[in-house]
Amino acid sequence: MNKSIESMWKEGFINEPNLSVPKVNALYNRKSQNIVDKLQSMFALNIKALIIGCIIMMIMMSLIGAPFLGLYICCLLIPLVIIAKKELTKSTALSKGQSSYDYLVNFDHWLKSSISTYAVYYRFFYPLLFIGMVTQALVSKAGGQVIAFILKLFPTDIVLLGVPYYLIVILTILFLVIIKYSDALYRLDLNIVYGHQFKKLDELLADMKTLRG
Amino acid sequence: MGSDFYQISILPYSGIIIKICRAYTNCQEDFEDYYQEVCLQIWRSKDNFNQQSKWSTWIYRISLNVCLTHLKKSKSGITDISSDALPDEVIDDSKAFISDDINQLYNAIKHLSEIDRALILLYLEEKTYAEIAEITGTNTNNIGVRVKRIKERLLRHIKPQGVKDE
Repeated sequence: MNKSIESMWKEGFINEPNLSVPKVNALYNRKSQNIVDKLQSMFALNIKALIIGCIIMMIMMSLIGAPFLGLYICCLLIPLVIIAKKELTKSTALSKGQSSYDYLVNFDHWLKSSISTYAVYYRFFYPLLFIGMVTQALVSKAGGQVIAFILKLFPTDIVLLGVPYYLIVILTILFLVIIKYSDALYRLDLNIVYGHQFKKLDELLADMKTLRG
Repeated sequence: MGSDFYQISILPYSGIIIKICRAYTNCQEDFEDYYQEVCLQIWRSKDNFNQQSKWSTWIYRISLNVCLTHLKKSKSGITDISSDALPDEVIDDSKAFISDDINQLYNAIKHLSEIDRALILLYLEEKTYAEIAEITGTNTNNIGVRVKRIKERLLRHIKPQGVKDE
């Protein structure tokens, strides 16, 4: 037999019984597999986790005698909740009824803009979290004992607010390192989780761009 | 999803969805997931349909867009290729259709890149280059050349089993 691809397709589908549709049921109970929907559900879950995290943080920090740190971390997490809600709203505006190229481009734009928004916030979040934790550690009773022990080991006359200068230098260096690498840290984390999908999307878009000429 | 909407607006076009979803999946379970996802997205996007194009074109678009951005990883490990070369290893797809010709064709189509699969499916569905360009958002001029290359690759893949070049 010698058939063309076109005739194989055309004739093959005549009286093809396996074109019968699968049973569509419990549609909303099925987990969506689409990238957009997956990210939407992750954003939604993220919002819930952040709110629960805020409450747990407040309770735990209060229990260990650091209610202000709990409150401080909550204040840092609240903007993340707001950002996540905004991104979720933006993502729902994406229509799948566009041409494949427009859809992929819009999806890519949304993804990149969403990542940038988060990255900007994380640039402040990590250093501010560090400041809060260090401050709490320094003013706490245990922290005071540690500083006294360090001063005993490495005595100095240069002490600022009860903290020896070299400790301030070390903390400042750590703070600067966190500022420098907070964006990279966020993107590294993102790439570990979504790297494969991001690469696939880039390849698809590159392919479509070639076709557009 | 309303039963009426499914019966009237999706079911008559289910052949389109089935043909597209089959090209992007490797087992019945994945296929059913994709099919349901496409149906759900058609229902969700129905208010955005502006009636400037045909409803079937709209269905092609949504089906392809859902399949192109699907997350689920292949269970049988099919490798997507963008180059002209086909992998030596032949992936024996399940007999999804009764027709051996169709099974052979799908087997070959699944070796293509995602975009090439979309192009050849639309071509085989007798869409004009203009319609393919409209659905995929690409340039009409480039489609003809690309389809020709895809057909050559498919032929190389199926030829040992007796297909003539047209």
